[in-house]
Amino acid sequence: MIRFDNVSKRYASGHDALSELSFEIGAGEMAFVTGHSGAGKSTLLKLVSLMERPTRGQIAVNGQSLNQTRRRGIPQVRRGIGMVFQDHRLLLERSIFDNVALPLVIAGTARDETGKRVRAALDKVGLLAREHALPLALSTGEQQRVGIARAIVAKPPLLIADEPTGNLDPQLAAEVMTLFGEFQQVGTTVLVASHDLPLIKRMGKRVLVLDHGRLIDDYRPSERGPSERGPAA
Amino acid sequence: MNRRTGQNRLKPAPAPAARTPAVRAGWNVRAWREQHRHGLLSSLQRLAARPLATSLTLAVLALALTLPVLFWLLLDNARSLGGSVDDARALSVFAKPDLDADAVQALAAQVRARSDVASVEIKTPEQGLEEFRSQSGFADALKVLHYNPLPAVLVVMPRAEGAALATELQRDPAVDLVQYDAQWRQRLNAILASGGRAALVLAVLLALAALLVTGNTVRLDIQGRREEIAVMQLLGASDGFVRRPFLYTGFWYGVLAGVLSLIVIGLVEWALAAPLAQLAASYDHRFGLHGLSLAGTLVVLAGSTALGWFGAWLTATRHIALGQPG
Repeated sequence: MIRFDNVSKRYASGHDALSELSFEIGAGEMAFVTGHSGAGKSTLLKLVSLMERPTRGQIAVNGQSLNQTRRRGIPQVRRGIGMVFQDHRLLLERSIFDNVALPLVIAGTARDETGKRVRAALDKVGLLAREHALPLALSTGEQQRVGIARAIVAKPPLLIADEPTGNLDPQLAAEVMTLFGEFQQVGTTVLVASHDLPLIKRMGKRVLVLDHGRLIDDYRPSERGPSERGPAA
Repeated sequence: MNRRTGQNRLKPAPAPAARTPAVRAGWNVRAWREQHRHGLLSSLQRLAARPLATSLTLAVLALALTLPVLFWLLLDNARSLGGSVDDARALSVFAKPDLDADAVQALAAQVRARSDVASVEIKTPEQGLEEFRSQSGFADALKVLHYNPLPAVLVVMPRAEGAALATELQRDPAVDLVQYDAQWRQRLNAILASGGRAALVLAVLLALAALLVTGNTVRLDIQGRREEIAVMQLLGASDGFVRRPFLYTGFWYGVLAGVLSLIVIGLVEWALAAPLAQLAASYDHRFGLHGLSLAGTLVVLAGSTALGWFGAWLTATRHIALGQPG
């Protein structure tokens, strides 16, 4: 699903965010990217979603080479990726329903179909009753769950999240992570950048550890009993 | 290496693979319709949400449209006035005052015999005086005269252009003066043509102003919606999708400004109708004011709509591209 081949990213400022990064995440796999702040977690996700271009190396997402994706091909790639942001990035003057419907509106889904899928997604995150509310009327945890509903409403094969629990208290954070785990169980590939090590450990999924832009570890903690699936890589 | 695509932004990129396969055609038509419906309605809602700013912009646009249209209407009316003298191709040949009736007849026969003359009509001094009395309003003044000062006049209709004929007839010793109305008509036409050119220049300048006004309004709108645009782009919205509501904003500005402009033009016509009718009456209704035709109305509407759309397109295309990596 995601393949990095010797990927390096140097920003215009001269800062080396990633160096010779190579890994592969299989379809249906869930993985965490962790490391100290500035280790390159966000840059990695930005490369996957084409918010940035690599300086060197090859990246393939969903079987498509991102290096060969021109500017006009970017939207097509992004429609295959559900994105969750730390600051949720909801449109504040639009209702919860409209926010979640946005990916479907962009994809041109028929209206009745849109309604059904938006309610299904809101139901999934437990916010069906709040569909007419505005984002600011919701708590931080609820806002983040709306962001997740928006990311999964178009049923993308890949879900990426940048510090999705960064602003949440431990209990809410655990709930959100459990949600991600559920999406993996229905076949979605999930990649989460997080520095919440205890939470990551409890999830028992594959972990990629970055340090100064280099991949220094790639392991699977097994505290939570035997793992059901091995990494497809 | 990755900068390659950045440089390519300036050139039109080849159509993305996703758009070409025929398999997606059915999906694309429905999606296209859905997205345009969305764009049309959401842009109108946004205009309605800011009534003051919207109406100010509309007023500026409508005035910029109204001025050249009114100027053009004025010229068009003047042109139709000129049109009524269009058939005044005749030459008026004034005989020497001391020429008697027989000599005038002889002169007429001589002129009639020319190959470049179609017809000759004689107006005797008596006829001339009668005409002058009835049309000029100088009837009372003419009573003071003890004799008829008017000479006999030959109204000569040339077969073709009359300028050369006029020059030749002027050389005849029996002729006092040749008045060729076509020269006056040519001058009028030249004046109208320069007026038409001026109207065109004015229209182009004001259209440019309308483009800038629309463009600037849309630019402010885009700046106010930066975050929304960024989010939509992250969710996979194409440039076209992001641009569409702004194009529709321009479209609505154009349509509404066009309608407003037509209303203003209608009011101006209405305000001028009564005094102009009076003026026309004093000239025996030899001319009348005509307003904007149906075709003209449609041209104003289509033109303003196109201007609004194009102004928005220019700005939106430039500003939305700035938010994306190469």
